[in-house]
Amino acid sequence: MKELAGRLTALDPDAGAAVRVIAYFDRLAEHRAGLEALVRGVAVLAGCPARLADAGRRVHLRVETDGRRRDTEQPPDPAWPSAALSPDGAPALWLERAGAPSVVDAVILERAAAAIRLVLDRTRGRAPSAAADDPALVETLLDATVPEQVRLHAARRLGLAPAARAHAVAPFDGPPRVLAASALRGPAPVEGRLPAPEGAARGKPAGADTGSAGPALPSGRVGVGPAVPVLGLPGSWAAARTALRFTADGTSHSPGPRVVYADELGGIGLLAELVVPGADPPPDVQALEAAVADAPWMLTTLHAVASTASLRGAAVEVGVHHSTLQDRLGHAEALLGWPVRTPQGRLRLQLALTMRHLGRA
Amino acid sequence: MTLTPPPFDPELAAVLEMIKDTLPPKLTMDEIEATRNGPGIAMLADMDLTLGGVFEVEDRIVPGPEHAPDISLLICRPAAPATDGPLPVIYHVHGGGMVLGNNRVGVDAALRWAGELGAVVVSVEYRLAPEHPYPAPIDDVYAGLLWTAEHAGEIGADPGRIVIAGASAGGGLTAALALLLRDRKGPRPIGQLLMCPMLDDRNDTPSTHQMAGLGVWDRTANDTGWTALLGERRGGPDVSPYAAPARATDLSGLPPAFLDVGSAETFRDEVVAYATRLWQAGGTAELHVWPGGFHGFDGFAPQASLSQACQTAQLKWLRRLLAE
Repeated sequence: MKELAGRLTALDPDAGAAVRVIAYFDRLAEHRAGLEALVRGVAVLAGCPARLADAGRRVHLRVETDGRRRDTEQPPDPAWPSAALSPDGAPALWLERAGAPSVVDAVILERAAAAIRLVLDRTRGRAPSAAADDPALVETLLDATVPEQVRLHAARRLGLAPAARAHAVAPFDGPPRVLAASALRGPAPVEGRLPAPEGAARGKPAGADTGSAGPALPSGRVGVGPAVPVLGLPGSWAAARTALRFTADGTSHSPGPRVVYADELGGIGLLAELVVPGADPPPDVQALEAAVADAPWMLTTLHAVASTASLRGAAVEVGVHHSTLQDRLGHAEALLGWPVRTPQGRLRLQLALTMRHLGRA
Repeated sequence: MTLTPPPFDPELAAVLEMIKDTLPPKLTMDEIEATRNGPGIAMLADMDLTLGGVFEVEDRIVPGPEHAPDISLLICRPAAPATDGPLPVIYHVHGGGMVLGNNRVGVDAALRWAGELGAVVVSVEYRLAPEHPYPAPIDDVYAGLLWTAEHAGEIGADPGRIVIAGASAGGGLTAALALLLRDRKGPRPIGQLLMCPMLDDRNDTPSTHQMAGLGVWDRTANDTGWTALLGERRGGPDVSPYAAPARATDLSGLPPAFLDVGSAETFRDEVVAYATRLWQAGGTAELHVWPGGFHGFDGFAPQASLSQACQTAQLKWLRRLLAE
């Protein structure tokens, strides 16, 4: 045994060294070494601490010359030698050393940056958000039968820390999604949405007033599960699918919210378990169906009454005069068999509308 | 049995790529002299053994075995010991396949532990094969240990707390020393630290075949080392357990052992077998097999992630052993 003889630290900073640097990083890349091993190689070969800081991919690590990882909160000094991970990108790999880089430093930075880019492309996707669309990873994360370690690995691949909170998202069209709680813009009050319980603000950012869910959500009908630690996502997914059943197209044939948050359903969510799609509808839903069949304005009018704060508001919503609305509701009450202008009757109408919705096969 | 070798750890594979010219896996008898004078050994002369002033370093000449030359002990004592009392001793035996090296080789690992633990390091210089075949090396190692135990007071050390340690050939000699001290009823070390030890002259385990031509100490090099030590007797029926500890039939009554080895190296199977036999003999042993590690990886690439884990395991074992 001949230990010490070949220690990397004995490397001479000469032309021969550049060739060995290239061989070193090529071999690391060939064996699919991880980011820390690559940054460690930079630190050991350059003889100074090295840093990788890529904000877009949430990668920050720092390794010292003894190979130990010691991260820091301090920003890199712009005067240090650095390399970008793409030709026109920002500096991401740094040598903590003053002055111009030597030839060997330049080779180290260039080869390491190339190898790091390959690892990032492989493990985190070319763009920061690309991995979030990886259906296999998302499915893994949502499947309670998958071992926890595997789900945690999938979470990391998706850029989610184990302690981070995330929502499972169930689009009506398209694959399941997982969105970091921090990335999801909370809903602002929208007419026609199911009523939100008190305290449902959930830390929504101030100024989330675009009147719709944030841009991170897929378009169309979407059920959103509660924000949970990543290992709780199978539960959030089940809740998201339930929430999806409460969504509507938002048209006159299917009035209602396109986006429903599971944790804003409250007790109404229990209806989802009681109403089996395609089964015989309960009597109130049968009465509702008969009323809807009687007049083209019936469904939107009843929905407006059920989901707005006042009859005046409902009249504005459906675009008729207040007295016209009163006439229509008199007709509707006769068909339904119960009043819709009392609190109890309004609740009964809301439940009938919701059950009708849930019952559609 | 498959001859497909386990893959090297990615970081260690890259290190191997860099050192392959200096340290080819094979070593033949003709190459011993050139390797002894190569850059590896020379570099050690420049190593700072004080670790930046932490240790006071002394080369002490002490009597060797009977009718044999004196030997040199490298003695490194903490410059500012934490306590006034006698310190534990790490008695270090260097590696080099029985044919290379001196008492500086690999001692930096022992110095790192001693720095953490507040211990004295004594590293023994032994005669090398093939000029000095068995039993010259183990006799020198044994003589150095006897001197250390008998003169512990002179170096501020506690003869009741000697840990014997070595890597590769030094690990094999350390294991042999433990057997010898047991059988001759010599001083009792409190532990034996066997790093990728060279234990079996037969050179015929599956790992010796799998790793042929790979890493830094392959089947050919191993044959060279053992033949240098044992000559014609290598692999034959009459090899002493004090030369090749794997030959020992009785592994009972030995001090607690720490053994480690890489999964991708020649010695893997003999080290695992030795640990197993220590347990079967009712002994205490801690075994680590580091996945993808080549021979002596923690010495060649101390910065690598796997090496850090390996060093941490060694240090923690020593801490538990030396805790009062």
